[in-house]
Amino acid sequence: MGAAVGTEGGGRNVNVDLNIVPFIDLLSCLTAFLLVSAVWVNIAQINISPKGKSRDQAVIDEERDKVMLSVLIEADKIWVGLSRINEFQEIAKGQDGQHDWAKLETALKDQKGSAYFSDRADLELAAESTTGSEVSYQDVIQAMDIAVKVGFIDVGLSDPAGLSARPTL
Amino acid sequence: MPVHATGPRLFSSIKLKVLGVHSGSAGGSRPSNVFLNLTPFVDMMTILVSFLLMVFSSTGELLQAQAGLDLPLADNKDTLQLAPVIIVTKREITYQGELVATIEAVMRDDSPAFKIDALFERLDAASKKIKEDVGLGKIARDLAKACEEAKNGLRPEPGKLCPDGLAILQADQGTDARLINKIVNTAKAAGFDNLLFAVKNK
Repeated sequence: MGAAVGTEGGGRNVNVDLNIVPFIDLLSCLTAFLLVSAVWVNIAQINISPKGKSRDQAVIDEERDKVMLSVLIEADKIWVGLSRINEFQEIAKGQDGQHDWAKLETALKDQKGSAYFSDRADLELAAESTTGSEVSYQDVIQAMDIAVKVGFIDVGLSDPAGLSARPTL
Repeated sequence: MPVHATGPRLFSSIKLKVLGVHSGSAGGSRPSNVFLNLTPFVDMMTILVSFLLMVFSSTGELLQAQAGLDLPLADNKDTLQLAPVIIVTKREITYQGELVATIEAVMRDDSPAFKIDALFERLDAASKKIKEDVGLGKIARDLAKACEEAKNGLRPEPGKLCPDGLAILQADQGTDARLINKIVNTAKAAGFDNLLFAVKNK
């Protein structure tokens, strides 16, 4: 029984003792199960749409008429460019040898606030990696993460050659 | 089941006379009751269970742990969902747990097609199978609804994406971006238009 009542005197029942043994049993089982099944690494995802030719989809001509925001990650710098206007912003690496992600965030925020992208959430991203000057996957994810944070939630990953706005030297 | 009066059972069933002597009965002649204070124990267990329930996550089982795989860090909090998994470790590429190619071989290949043939074959077969399942309605109701919404151009809820053309890429954070490009191109060519990049929360 869950509870038993002290009735020794036969008068008024005053002491009520709850039997907590089943409760402790339940807690012990639950604790053991949760400890065994616990996932200590919290994994999430970034959703991207690959750009380029698909098996079932034709290239959409409509996109060629729009101004596209392109981000190109190179080993030593990041380019933020606008297609059709051909405006490019160069973000060099910081003094610590890491990409200047704060500047990239500011640049993307500026673009998001502009008339071209205030009601849009698409962005193209590519990484120019070569032997000797490699771009790591972490850098690509970092740039995507910043883009999503700023509001460009439709991130498209493409080849460097497939970017709508590509800086030419 | 008979109802018994409450009270400790330990002392009556197991004659621990030494407890009777040293636990409050001054004379030692009469056995006294020994109460174990369970309140702190129950408190601790309750807090532990609450904490474990909070950190409990069902997404862990979607991904497989592999040697040489350290996921990149990100702030994004969207949850993963069940989909075919492409794993890129420091040495090899696997699809659904099966070895597809080694990184060295893929990086050595400079073919103009710019895709990984062995991976393409597997992804192509998987894509056709998923498309068929979606067409026949062999998927969960909420995912079928997500597919309908995707056709109408509506943005799906996180974790409820249409399985048609959906795959998870689980790659090591030090992977060369050229390899990622190749895999993304291969997936795109095979019909996987929607890739979920698995990341570790900062």
